[in-house]
Amino acid sequence: MAAALQEKTTPVAPRGATDPPPLMAAIDIVQDYDQPDGKPLRVLNKVTLHFNRPRINMLLGPSGCGKSTLLRMLGGVRPWNVKTPTSGRVEIDGVLCEGPHPDVVMVFQQYANRPDLTVRENVYYPFTFSEWRSRVTAKEADERVIRILDEVGLADKQKLHPAQLSGGQNQRVALARALVLRPRVLLMDEPFGALDAQTRTAMQGLLVRLHTTHPCLVAFVTHDVTEALLLGDRVIVLSTQPATIIDDIELSAPQPRSQEWLMTADMRAMHERIVSRLRAADGGGNIRVSV
Amino acid sequence: MSDFWNPYRTLAASQQRTLGVISVVGVIATWAAIAATGWLSKNQLPSPLAVTEAMAYLGWYDGKSQLALATVWSVGRVAAASLLVMIIGIPLGVVMGASPRMNAIFSPLVDPFRSAPVAALLPIMVMWFGIGEFMKIAFLFVGSIVYLTPLVRDAIRSVPEDYTVSAKDLGATQWECVSRVLVPLAMPRIMDAVIVGVSVSWTYITVAEYVNAQEGLGQLIANARRMSAMDQVFAGIIVIIAVALLTYQGLMWLKRRLYKWEVA
Repeated sequence: MAAALQEKTTPVAPRGATDPPPLMAAIDIVQDYDQPDGKPLRVLNKVTLHFNRPRINMLLGPSGCGKSTLLRMLGGVRPWNVKTPTSGRVEIDGVLCEGPHPDVVMVFQQYANRPDLTVRENVYYPFTFSEWRSRVTAKEADERVIRILDEVGLADKQKLHPAQLSGGQNQRVALARALVLRPRVLLMDEPFGALDAQTRTAMQGLLVRLHTTHPCLVAFVTHDVTEALLLGDRVIVLSTQPATIIDDIELSAPQPRSQEWLMTADMRAMHERIVSRLRAADGGGNIRVSV
Repeated sequence: MSDFWNPYRTLAASQQRTLGVISVVGVIATWAAIAATGWLSKNQLPSPLAVTEAMAYLGWYDGKSQLALATVWSVGRVAAASLLVMIIGIPLGVVMGASPRMNAIFSPLVDPFRSAPVAALLPIMVMWFGIGEFMKIAFLFVGSIVYLTPLVRDAIRSVPEDYTVSAKDLGATQWECVSRVLVPLAMPRIMDAVIVGVSVSWTYITVAEYVNAQEGLGQLIANARRMSAMDQVFAGIIVIIAVALLTYQGLMWLKRRLYKWEVA
């Protein structure tokens, strides 16, 4: 089985001296967590991934498989008290990345919107930190904020606070705050996981639209097979504990993709293939196979 | 009545007020009834009427108001002490909450005094600072800051980690995580700590003003007790409670106004 899958994964071809390094690369990532009984729990086992082009990459796996942990490492988004990764490294433009990177921004599932700030202030938020203040003038920051709020459809909600918004609107704020920095890499950690089905569909459409106007490398974590097929230019399937890559699929269908497209024989076969791979790899966690 | 023990029920404001008034009137009625039986002497339990008369006497007699003057003095002392407590205690609590090293340094100087008998420190204060104004404010300061600082520390620590993790991702430095993330998000809890600190100052005001009693509500009570004027003692206590309650309500109102986002 493993041998059969090997050919599907992106070949890690040796690079010539003149080849540019990949935009983002995870190399031999291993992550262990200490358990209460003292034994380390391995959640990621030798994961190697290269990302080259500014397109939408889906990281699909059962819940609790360590895909969020992997995503956070890619952006240098580290919890305070855990050393990540245990071994292996993340490179951006071929340079080792160990902490927050100015070209990489993350959107969290729980939005991380500041309850004490208005919508506008939440999007302006990064420009209040010295790093971005030195990089972007106040005038330009203002212009960027106005434009992005318009693009995500929150221009009329600027003065409201997060508690006055719906889940979908809150996620729009989070998306705007990330894109206002014009990142080259956008990391999304199950961003639409907490939303109801209709809102999720609307947000998926918004993401695809925004991606055409703000082309960047998107790494998107999900446990929803349908979402992975609907959004992904590439779908990377991860097994569970310890997570390894069990499938790596290129999808060339143009965006935006419709529900009808998902129902074509090819896509249903693809759906089946992913689900059976996940089953074969055994998962303690859950995958979402519904629409 | 079927939901009498439903703790999540919100009472109508009018019902809440009615029940509160009934409770207070009940206590006063019981008090008046016991005083009327004559079991206790006038100096053990003055009647509500006697206390009202005492309050009127203290409130206005011979062209001056002892009560108003005393209240102004006491409020001034509590305000001065509270201001000092805030200026020193809030930054101290913030750095203790934001850095375990700072906490390790300052915690032994603050935490044990929460359970220390602060009133017993009075003689030491008198030896160090004399019997004047400085001693009184220093005493209130010590009594109050040992409560406020740990509460501010806890307020900082209770800010969810998500906010600082996200801020770091957006480029915040460690100090910006403290000053621009932890502090603003902890402000409503810090305000709660200030309210506790001010309330504690009010409970210690009588002790502080007991020494070298020249003016203030504590002095008023101490002198009345010395003259066995129990009605005046009662009047003084009631005024302290009323002023402390008013301060509390005022600060709560301010908190709700400043931090609307928290209730929203």
